[in-house]
Amino acid sequence: MELKNCLRESRTQCGLTQESLANLVGATRQTIIAIEKGGYTPSVALALKLASAVDVPVQDLFWLEER
Amino acid sequence: MKTMPKMTQYYLSRALISAAFGGLFAITGTPWWIAALTGAGVFALFLWAPRSGRYAVSPKRGVTALQRDERTQGITDKAGRNAFVVMAFAIAGLNLYFGSMTLSAVPVRFLSWTLILGVLTYFATDLWLRRT
Repeated sequence: MELKNCLRESRTQCGLTQESLANLVGATRQTIIAIEKGGYTPSVALALKLASAVDVPVQDLFWLEER
Repeated sequence: MKTMPKMTQYYLSRALISAAFGGLFAITGTPWWIAALTGAGVFALFLWAPRSGRYAVSPKRGVTALQRDERTQGITDKAGRNAFVVMAFAIAGLNLYFGSMTLSAVPVRFLSWTLILGVLTYFATDLWLRRT
């Protein structure tokens, strides 16, 4: 199973830059980039903060897919 | 740039640290212009750090405005652990070599090399894990 996300699309729909989203959730810009590229799996706490920041339910922002 | 006024404490504290660093070079016999350049270089790194994307910026924290987040803390932990393990194996190897082959104590210059090896391991791990 692989964790997928639509963070980039949700972020741009909200008009947020990677830097402003990072500031909103208390993460680094590099971490936002890594999550958007699928290179980093965030903790539950960070996933919930991201979902709240882009106003999308967390289960719609992150989901599991068969490899 | 909107956060600049709130970052004043951070920039002031880093200016002091940079000046102290340059001063340290100056009082240990380094020509004044090299000391000044070193201080300016250190301050340039502090100016770049909030914009580097490597830190979570929280201006309300004042002098500690730059924080690691969960990912960068994990990277730092792994880099430190790798550096420690590499140094431990290097020192163990040196002890075995000099103890069994030459029956002498490990020369100090070899211990300096293990320190350099540890630092290189730390930064190599950090760079590798930060790639996205």
